[in-house]
This record gives sequence, C-alpha cells and structure tokens, in this order.
Amino acid sequence: MTREKKVVSSQKKAASPQFDDTIAAIITPPGEGGVAAIRLAGRLCLSILKTHFKPAVIKSSKKIVPFMMRYGHFIRRGETKATDEIMAVYMPAGRSYTGCDQVELYCHGGPQVVKLILDELLASGARAAEPGEFTKLAFLSGRIDLSHAEAVAEIIAANTESSYEAAREHLVGHYSEYVEKLRDDLVGIVAEVEASIDFPEEEIESAERASLLFSIDEIRSSLVTLSDSYRGGRIIKEGFRIAIAGRPNAGKSSLFNLLLRQQRAIVATTAGTTRDYLSEWIDLEGYAVNIVDTAGLRGKGGAIEKAGQESAQRIISKSDLILWMIDLAEANWSKQLTSDLKMLGSTPIMVTGNKIDMCDNHHLQVKSYDGEIICVSCKTGKGIKDLKRTLVALVSENLPDLTSGVVVTSARHKSKLTSATRHILTARKKIADSVELELAAFDLRQAVADLDEITGRIYTEEILGRIFSKFCVGK
Amino acid sequence: MKSADRMTDVVVVGGGHAGVEAALAVARMGRKATIVTIDATKLSLMSCNPAVGGIAKSHVVKEVDALGGLMGRAADSTGIQYRRLNLSRGPAVWSTRIQSDRIAYSQFVVDYLAQQKNVSVLEGIAAEILTENGRACGVRTESGELVTAHAVILATGTFLGGLIHIGEKTIKSGRRGEPGAYSLSESLISHRFELGRLKTGTPPRLDGDTIDFAKCELQPGHEPPPYFSYRSTMREIDQVPCHLTKTSVETKKIVSDNFQQSPIFSGKISSVGPRYCPSIEDKFYRFAERESHQIFLEPEGNGTSEIYPNGFATALPEEVQCQAIRTVVGLEEVRLTQPGYAIEYDYIPAYQIKPSMETRRLSGLFLAGQINGTSGYEEAAGQGLMAGVNAVLAIEGEQPFVLDRSEAYVGVMIDDLVTRSTTEPYRLFTSRAEYRLALREDNARDRLNQYARKYNLVSVEEGDAFEDIRTDTDRVIAALRKKRVKVSDLGELSQRYQRAEMVTLDNMIRQPNISINEAVQLITKLDPTIADNMEVLERAAIAIRYRGYIEKQQREIDKFKRQESELIPADFDFSSVTGLKREALDKFVHFQPGSLGQAGRIEGVTPGDIAVLSVFLKRHNESR
Repeated sequence: MTREKKVVSSQKKAASPQFDDTIAAIITPPGEGGVAAIRLAGRLCLSILKTHFKPAVIKSSKKIVPFMMRYGHFIRRGETKATDEIMAVYMPAGRSYTGCDQVELYCHGGPQVVKLILDELLASGARAAEPGEFTKLAFLSGRIDLSHAEAVAEIIAANTESSYEAAREHLVGHYSEYVEKLRDDLVGIVAEVEASIDFPEEEIESAERASLLFSIDEIRSSLVTLSDSYRGGRIIKEGFRIAIAGRPNAGKSSLFNLLLRQQRAIVATTAGTTRDYLSEWIDLEGYAVNIVDTAGLRGKGGAIEKAGQESAQRIISKSDLILWMIDLAEANWSKQLTSDLKMLGSTPIMVTGNKIDMCDNHHLQVKSYDGEIICVSCKTGKGIKDLKRTLVALVSENLPDLTSGVVVTSARHKSKLTSATRHILTARKKIADSVELELAAFDLRQAVADLDEITGRIYTEEILGRIFSKFCVGK
Repeated sequence: MKSADRMTDVVVVGGGHAGVEAALAVARMGRKATIVTIDATKLSLMSCNPAVGGIAKSHVVKEVDALGGLMGRAADSTGIQYRRLNLSRGPAVWSTRIQSDRIAYSQFVVDYLAQQKNVSVLEGIAAEILTENGRACGVRTESGELVTAHAVILATGTFLGGLIHIGEKTIKSGRRGEPGAYSLSESLISHRFELGRLKTGTPPRLDGDTIDFAKCELQPGHEPPPYFSYRSTMREIDQVPCHLTKTSVETKKIVSDNFQQSPIFSGKISSVGPRYCPSIEDKFYRFAERESHQIFLEPEGNGTSEIYPNGFATALPEEVQCQAIRTVVGLEEVRLTQPGYAIEYDYIPAYQIKPSMETRRLSGLFLAGQINGTSGYEEAAGQGLMAGVNAVLAIEGEQPFVLDRSEAYVGVMIDDLVTRSTTEPYRLFTSRAEYRLALREDNARDRLNQYARKYNLVSVEEGDAFEDIRTDTDRVIAALRKKRVKVSDLGELSQRYQRAEMVTLDNMIRQPNISINEAVQLITKLDPTIADNMEVLERAAIAIRYRGYIEKQQREIDKFKRQESELIPADFDFSSVTGLKREALDKFVHFQPGSLGQAGRIEGVTPGDIAVLSVFLKRHNESR
C-alpha cells in the first residue's frame, strides 16, 4: 500500500479527487465485439492491476510505466492459468480522464470473458461504476466543464460518424466559447443598465439607448440562431427521422423491410409503444437515419385502426421527412394524392409511387401529376437505388453545416437558450420604454443565469443530478 | 488588570459612525459601553461630504433605523435639504439622501449619547489591545489609562496609521487638524494581524460668499421632505439648495500639467483608492477624452457659508488646488477655507473577521467600518451596529446575529467582506444585491423588525406598533385585490384596457405605464376609504407591483438558503479535501467559509471545487 501511495503522490497533479472508492465498468458497447475495454478508476486500481496482470517480460522491465501500453495476461486470484491475453495501461492521478488513478484493460470481446474479468475486479475491491460516474469524476476534478460533460454524454449516445463529429466539435469547446462570448456581451449590457440605476446623478457615458437596444438585438438574434440550430443538432444526435406514410396497402411495410434488408440496421427492432408502428435505425451513407413505418391513413376501420392513425399523425408531425407512398395501380391515386398532401403540413415530402410492376405504363401515368414522383417496385426492387439517392440528397440538404458554426444538440441547452431569449425580450421592452429599469436588470440577469447553466459557471445540485443520471456506463 | 482605571462591558475604539452605533446597540441590549475617542465633541463628525444616504446607502440607513440605530434620526433632525433619488426607476431602487448641517449632526449625536444610559465617552488615543487568556479584554490609551472590558470593538476609521498627503507634503494625522493612532497598529501586528493600506481623499472646502451661484444650476430639495426614520415627525424648515457646476477647459489643463505634483502619480501613495470616487486628477488622467466633469456644491450647514465641492477631491499642492478650482464655472473668485487632501490609513483585510465581525485570531475583538476596508458613513454604521450586537451576544455566550444576503444590504456587505479580497475601499451599490427587488427602503422593517424585537434593539411598543402596520398593509392589499373600478375612471390609463369595463385596483397598479405614485394618487381619488394611511397604501402598492417578480426571486432565495444551510463546521480541515485545485484550497483556508453557499461566492472558486467540497463535507458530517 505504502509503495503505491508513493507512486501516486509523486505523479499527482493538483486536480485529483482521491475518492476512497475504486470503480470499474466495461466501457465498450454491450454485445459481441472483437475487443472490449474495461476501465478502473480510484485509489486501488494500481494495486488491483498488479494483483491480476502479469506483463509479458520485455527485456528486463516488469515495472508498470504510466501511459505505456503493456501486453500480458489477466490471471484470476488463486489460479495459474490466464483468463485472457490482455493489454493494460496505467494513467496516474491528475493526468487521467477522471483525474484519479486510472487503469484501462483491453481484452477479447466475448461476453463471457469480459464478465469474468469484471467480476474478478469487483471481487478485488472495486465497485461497479454508476452511470456517468467516470465523467462525473472528470467534472469534479475540474478536467472538463459542464458543457463538455454533456457533450461526452452525446458521444456516448452518438450512433454514427456524422453524429460523432458534431459531438466532438462540441467537446473541443467551440460551443462553450461561443456561449461564453454571448454571455460576456450580455453582462456588458447588464453593466450598462446597472450603472444607470446606481449612478443616476453622474454623467455616465452610457451607450445611447438606441445603440444599447442594437446590442441587445444582436445578442438576441445570435441566441435565436443558436437555439434554432437545435433541430439540426437533434437530427445529428438522434438521426434524421423519415416517416413512411400513406393510405393502407400502398406498400409501406414492404419498402420499410426492403430498406432494412439492404442497409445495416443499427439497433434491434423495437415495436412502437402502441404496437402500431415500427421504428428502425439504418446507416444511410454515414447518416443515422431513423425510419418509421406508420399505420395506413384514411382507411376506414374500427378502434384499433383509429388509434393507429392517430399515432401515425403524431409521428408524421415529428418527422424530418415524409416518404408518402401511393399505389400507382390504384385507379384514382392522383385525386387522392392531391387531397392527402393538403393535410400533411410543412414537413418536406417525398412522394413515392409503388407497384410499377403492376402498371402498364407508369411513366405516362405519373405525368398526370405535377410534382415529382419516385417510382419503385418493392416487389422487384426496381427504382430503389434512385429512391435511396434522392433520400441521401434530401437528408444532407436538411442537415446543418457542421464546419461553419456551432450546433445545439442538447434539449436542456435549447430550453435554456429559449428562456434566455425570452428574458432578453422582456428586458428589451422595458429598456425601450425606459421604464422599470430595475426589472429590466432582473430579466437580463436571469438571462445570464440561463447561459451560466450551460457553461456550468453556477453550480446547482439539480443540474448535476440530471446530467449525470443521463450517462450510461462505458463511454 | 485589577488596577484598571475603568471597567465596562464593551470598549469601543473610535467615536465615528461605526463606533457610535456599536456603543448604542450595546447599551440598548443592557450592557455598558465606553467609547474611547480623540475628541469627545466630534462624535459622528462627517469627515467628508455633509450628506447621509444615496443609492443603496439609504437602504442601509433604513436598516440601521429598523434595528434601533441612530443614524436615520440624526440625519432627519439636522437635515437642510432632503431628496429622493431614482424616482424615475422602480421603488426597489428609490433612495433617500439628506444634506445635513455638519456641526448640528455631530451635536445631535453628542447630546443623544449624553442622555443615553449605559454609554460613556473617554477622551484618549487607544494604543494597545489588552488580552487575557487569548481573549481581548480592554485597551490601554497613549496616556496610560486602562479600560477593561469583556469585548473590544475597533472602529478606527482613517485614524489608524493615518497619513495625510497634500502635494509633496505629508502630515501624520487621522483627519485634518487631528492626531492619528499609531501604536495601535503595532499592537495589532503583535497579535499577528495582517494589516493593509488604503487611500481615500476629500476636496477642499470653499467660502460660499465668494461663489457666483448664479452661474450654477440650482438643485432644490424635495417637498414634502423624505425622512429615513419611522420615528421622525415633520419638521418645518426652509430647505437649502445645492448647486451643480462643471470644470472648464482650463481646469483640465491645470490639473493635467500638474499630475506629477500629486502624490497619487508621483509614487508617494501606492495604496489603492476607490474607483467610484476618484480624485479630480484621477478623473482627468483616466478619462483623458472627457473635457469636463460636474461638481456639486453642497452647503455645509445653516450657520456657515462653507461649501463642499463634491467631485473635486484632490491631493494636489494647495496653490495648484486653488488655481485649478478657480477655473470651475462660478468659482472664479473662490476662497479656500481648507485644502483638499488624500489620506492613507491602515486596515485589516476582512478575511480576518467572521460574519459576526469578530476577528478569527483574537476572540472578543470585533472590527467595524473602515478598518474592514469599507468606505462610507452608512456602511460604517451598519457594521458598527452588527458588531455591537454581536459583542454582547458573545459575552452572553449566545449565537451570533448574522443577516444573510436575502435579508438586508447589511448582510450583502458583510458577506462580500468576508468572502472577497478588498483591493479598494468597499462601497455598497444596489447591483451588489442579487435580491434587490426584495431589499427595499419601504420594507426594511418588514425584514428586520423580528430581529430588532428579539435582541431588544427597539422598545416593545415600537416593535408591536410595526406589526400593526404590517397587518394593515395586508388588509389593504386584500382590499385592492377585491375593489373593482370603472375603466373609464382611469384617465389616460384606460387605453390599456380595450375590452374590459371594470378592472381591479390590483390590476391597475400592475400596469407598467403608471408609476407607484400616480397609482397611489389615483386610488385615493377613486376610493379614499381603502387606506387611511398613505404610507400603508404605498407599501401595499409596491408589494402588488413587484408581486410576480418577488415570487420569481423567492424561488432563487429558497435555493440560496438551502446552500447557506449546508454549514461547514469550524473544525473542518480543508486540506483533507484532496481533490481541490491548489487555488481553491488556498482560498478556502484563507477565507474559512462557514457554509457551502459562502464557499461558492469566493472569487476563483469553480463549481467543480464546490462539488468536491460538498462530497467531502457530506462524508465528514456522516463520520461524526
């Protein structure tokens, strides 16, 4: 023990919460994979490593050197045979992600092996990490700020590369910096207003009211732009949501299944809560796309069909794109389409005509309709390539440009930005009328407080609780 | 110690605004207080401008008044001009300011103390803090007199190590023409206190008979005169006006040409003065683009023609001062009655006191006023009163009286002092109060009457009488909520209501376009029976006007109180919190915060530090 302590203290930098606990968790996603990683953090992790890890001797060195990846064997207590061949690395307190002494083990990914190793670590004095606990330690050690911590949560949740990029940008701090800057500008306005309250008799060369209002409007419009980027941010994080909708028997489910078969499904099939729609994630040329198969609309039927239609309406309203399917073999599809499209609102719509295999001359038919129609046959697979090409084009059209700006991906941030904007608007009215300036100051300070909750300047137990419960083990 | 010349309960060093309130609080609580001061005829003498109150400061005066203090009554009784400031803003930042007759003000306090039981005044200069068993137990004066006591309050103002600067000249003095206290600093250092140095300044005084007031802008007082104290009754006086004038192009030239003659620039003074109250040379230096600065001409009293030129503080050589001020509009022929000067003095950076004003190093020793790094009569009075109360509570073994930031400006100030490093003399502003809408002049007694009663700072009758006003106010608020009036009777305001024909008075008061005063006048016209007291009606109207905001603010206050209630035990060892950043650890050890909330307000401490601290604190408390 004393020896390890020495190692720790000699390496220790200022920021390192030495919790008495040592925590462990698998940090790679659950399920079978080639390699799995296990992280240990806390006081005991070096001694646990030394107990179970027998490094293959390279030259004469048997010492564990910080940040040097060592190859060796994991051996359970009381056994002589290795459980698995592993790689291990030690990161001393103050220089690790969590700020604590930290060890990472990389073993083969079979669920059995991983479980055996983790159980052994827990038996040796570690406890299972709570969701988000590693990041919480990183936050507590001052290694990352609150908005960084949330970005990490998003990296965990990110499913595809494009998603990861947005989360990474966020993590690097562009977003923090941007919000900090807006906050600073806002504090400048508060100072102007406060000065006129505290020094009414002095000749304060405060900004003219017009220029003050101009600055307020600038900040407000930046905030609005930022908070509007949330739709894009949400798409990046949650995936682009495409609802396949249409009248009954247009072939919605056939298309849904076809797309699934051809693309890699990201998550296993989950039935909708009301059992009336199916939702799947597919990787469409690097975009995480969430396709939803909805119940047929406008069909007659009993209570169950009615419920299905209501939920279909709901899904359609929350989608980023509607793939509206029509049955080209149906005689009066054109008339139906015109009336159906009227009820779909402002969401972009891509009309897909199915069953071209059953039409004698679909090219001619489609000309009777003004808009563009993608013609496919779910049965033969004809036209599906075109459909996908169009889909990719529409998805990328609706994605925000990641390289040029900052994007809000957290719903909590979005609500804080909206609230800040609202407070600023209330204050602006008062400043414009030159009445109740102390109330304008109050509103502006509330807006600053809203931004503080994004950058984590103000500590509130509630926010921490919520953020850290959002994490799942293993990021 | 047995041969003490005098024995008292609390010895107060200094007879200024802090010392007087401290002694009076001690006396009201039934203990004996002895003030040791250089000149017993100059109690509460206003060393700088002859006015009490102003933005945020008047809030403190009202708080001192609600807690039984004297400052409000002294200003009310000796005022020569009364004004309410910020009336174009809302009632939370309305402030009162009274120009008082400097001599009359001091005389009022001298007379008041003479008839106050339990207070005595000893002329002398304190030279040494006496201790017994590690506790402060009295003072020795330079002439060798001993005053023994159970507690000592230092309220030394600019007298502690005072050094006056006028140009190149320096004079050891605590205030013009008066000696300072020098041995006392040595005594404090020997008790291992860290002393710092601050600077402040004052303008020259002018002979009003040599001023051409016709060239200046008249600033009359307000009628009826606003008073600080709820005890004050209407005085029939002719108010004296102030005047507003400004510096000229020549002023700028003369002052700028002589920067090097000012000790502030020549390097003779290295200590820091207040940014909010710069000397005239500082103004021209730091704001070189400004061609002119305004100067307020404030009368020093009724029986004198002396004028205080507010805004012209200076430490330039006397002849330069004279030359420069004669370039100010209206002052071309002016005669100086006394030169302006800068003064440096010792203070004890306030991390060395607890929120009770008692020093950490030496129990039984309390500090109030400029010695804590503050400036201003009102700030001093507030601290003096708190120190007096807490000295008595300490003697009696009771818990200290600490006001928090949501209760009073006094609480905001003391919390700021103990959680921040003072680098310049500290002054209150309303913007320092995060719960500003709740800390108003009009509700000072609502906030503090309970404490005034608890500590016997007001008589039982006074305490009860206010509770009646409070009940009355609640009744009027309810009546205003019920009473409906015709929209057509509301005059211009009726345009706000497009559809409604009838509207409640409550709703009318909440319209932003109508001021509280207009609302109150309109109500008395529409329904004279609703309140028989204008003060009560105004209180009710303000409460209604701010209701929505106060409710919002209340949620923040509740959150704040939760963090304040997470106490850090006095024996808590911050160095056991291993995860803290070095800077945060140093700050915690330095300031010794008493609660998690207080710890979070220390500059340079991050949310992460507080999170770590809270984890260890929880563990510490569980293991006990």
